[in-house]
Amino acid sequence: MPAAAVFAVLLISLVIVCLLVARPAITAARGGKILAFLGLFIFPVLTGVLGFENHMERSKQTRFCLSCHIMEPYGKSLYVDDKSYIPAAHFQNNRVPRDEACYTCHTDYTLYTGGFKAKVRGLHHIYAQYIGKPQQPVKLYHPFNNRECLHCHSGARSFEEGSIHAALMDDIKSNKMSCVSSGCHDMVHNAAQVNGLKQWSAQP
Amino acid sequence: MTETQNQNEFISKRLRLAGLLIALGLVVEGLSLTWNHPLSFVAFLAIGGLLLLLGIVVYLTALVSPRQS
Repeated sequence: MPAAAVFAVLLISLVIVCLLVARPAITAARGGKILAFLGLFIFPVLTGVLGFENHMERSKQTRFCLSCHIMEPYGKSLYVDDKSYIPAAHFQNNRVPRDEACYTCHTDYTLYTGGFKAKVRGLHHIYAQYIGKPQQPVKLYHPFNNRECLHCHSGARSFEEGSIHAALMDDIKSNKMSCVSSGCHDMVHNAAQVNGLKQWSAQP
Repeated sequence: MTETQNQNEFISKRLRLAGLLIALGLVVEGLSLTWNHPLSFVAFLAIGGLLLLLGIVVYLTALVSPRQS
């Protein structure tokens, strides 16, 4: 749902509410009662639901993730001028959408899936960022799930026909062997070292 | 003052209160939607959502509660 639609519902709701506050006597008539029900119940609930959905969609954006100070090195790692950096190679070559780069490879992170516990962790991150002290270095709660790679690479010719991939396919698909294992695709964000590395500057 | 007038007065007060809470909640939610920041989500839920909920509860209880004279 585009933000304009959410604002339209919000505005309609606000107009009805203002009318009811200014002239509550209109609720004496049947039409006024219906208007009050719409303005004081249906539209506010609708605004809340649509607004929540809009916030959820916005929180998938790369800039949302990188708005926390602790995530800055991870943002920089997307611009490292080195093909061996897996996130950078994906980001710079549009293998992941740039405006949702983090979410594309971390679909199970905090708010989106993972149940109640994962959502509480998301709130804890906000607490740690603004009130507490974030734990450094940042670590994933669970080992990186191969599913995040396979939702694009599975079925791709270059992946399926690769001799190493083919030999290990069952272990890769069952998560027994991680894609980011040492010796495989182990050059991921490497956030601690990223400041000293040459950066790629995207052309506008 | 007649009983009907008292009832109308009671309903009007509750509607005004519910309306003010909901209007305030809508303003907070609207502002949070223009602010692209992790805290805007918290403001949306914890402030805007709470005000909306309170307003709706005040409105619904006004509909079902016994009239005060």
